[in-house]
Amino acid sequence: MQEQSLFPNQPQGITLSQFNARISQAINTAPGLQNQWIIAETSDLRVVRGHCYMELVEKDDHGTTVAKLGAVIWASTFARLDAKFQAAMGTGLKTGMKLLVLATANYHSQYGFKAVINDIDPSYTMGDMARQRLEILKRLKADGIIDMNKELPITAVPQRIAVISAAGAAGYGDFMNQLEHNPYRLKFYTCLFGASMQGAQTVPSVLAALDRINEHMELFDAVVIIRGGGATSELNSFDNYDLAASVAQFPLPVIVGIGHDRDETVLDYVAAIRVKTPTAAAEWLINRGTNALAHLDELQEAVVTAVRETVGHAREQLTYYTGMIPAAARRIIETNSIRLDNYTKNIPLAANNLIANQRTRLERAVERMGGALEHAMQREQLRLKALGEKAALLSPENTLQRGYSLVWAGGKCVTAASQISPGERVTMQFADGTASATVDKVKG
Amino acid sequence: MEEIKEMTYTQAVTELEQLVQKMQDPQCSIDNLTAYTKRSKELLDICRKKLTAADEQLKQILADIQQQG
Repeated sequence: MQEQSLFPNQPQGITLSQFNARISQAINTAPGLQNQWIIAETSDLRVVRGHCYMELVEKDDHGTTVAKLGAVIWASTFARLDAKFQAAMGTGLKTGMKLLVLATANYHSQYGFKAVINDIDPSYTMGDMARQRLEILKRLKADGIIDMNKELPITAVPQRIAVISAAGAAGYGDFMNQLEHNPYRLKFYTCLFGASMQGAQTVPSVLAALDRINEHMELFDAVVIIRGGGATSELNSFDNYDLAASVAQFPLPVIVGIGHDRDETVLDYVAAIRVKTPTAAAEWLINRGTNALAHLDELQEAVVTAVRETVGHAREQLTYYTGMIPAAARRIIETNSIRLDNYTKNIPLAANNLIANQRTRLERAVERMGGALEHAMQREQLRLKALGEKAALLSPENTLQRGYSLVWAGGKCVTAASQISPGERVTMQFADGTASATVDKVKG
Repeated sequence: MEEIKEMTYTQAVTELEQLVQKMQDPQCSIDNLTAYTKRSKELLDICRKKLTAADEQLKQILADIQQQG
């Protein structure tokens, strides 16, 4: 209702709500502002009481914002759209994403102007991320570094592992648990280099962890970058040229387990080994170990077989020679047994001759001995006879008979003058008797 | 011949593979067999040990580095 003015020249005004109603009328019914698909990037996205608020922006090639509009997804729609987006992308809506949204321009007298988002087409975002990734990959290729990490030799069993992960993450726990409790008792040595695996800090913290590992490079066989469990958003933090270039050029083979079933990151293309989950990374390492153990079993079997064959071959040779020996031996034995027979036959003959000879010699000797004995006896008898005659000639009786006498004193035969003294009684023995006398004088 | 304890797994398994090849050669003399078998047993043991026996010293070094982080 128009009020009567005190100043007739004064322009006629309407109330704000009347004006807003006109805006509302204009906007909310204008063609091309309802359910229009719009391409825009998200910024300053936040969820408040179930409603998702954001700024939709458009940037030029230099990153300068050239268009901007506040937008909202009402809670009732957001629950559905977020689930749909998650299912397609493996990640929720977040700041910095390029979206294709179905929006309606909405003006509310009380709350102002907003784009109300009614739908999102995730395939556009997917395509945009793929395009971004493709650009990074092109650049890595052009720089000649895209395959560098893949070309590094990987030790038979990487046992010394530098792990880049968020310390408390479920994925890290799964990885460690899997390695530590592997049923083959394979030993792994891990060292955690903690890093933020989501949000703005992802790239700088993973780069810092790689730098630290590089300082201790000689202690490790491989690097494992894992991320898993918790929210599955923020995956495209890894789609970063600097990070990809560092991984590609890292001097140790890198195993990445950060991907997602439905998505890949640039790191998956540059790392030596890519697996889907932290558990799969552990399984890959354990598998290397079991392959090595199986290879050792094969080698052991080969050693045993080689020994068996070589010994078997030698034994065969030996058996062959053993077979040869009897024939040769038989010949030797036969030759020798003939010689032996001859000897055996000749032995009695030779022995008889020998005995006969010896007997003749013996008989002759006996004969000779008999003659010699007789002769010796005769000689001795003659000698004895001569001795007897000599003895008889020299006997005291004969001597006494020849006129000699013996003088006895004190029972002893006196053979010297000094043996007796004057006055001593002596007995003189003659051949036919004795005479006693006393010594007068001794001269000598 | 390299001191066996100083060898890496790769070195040990490479020597073992070469040794097995020698032993599989029909010209392999039975006189060498004992020495080859003994050496291959040693190499097999060290390889298995490297895969399954704990190196406490290395564990400690890595624990220290992890703590510094």
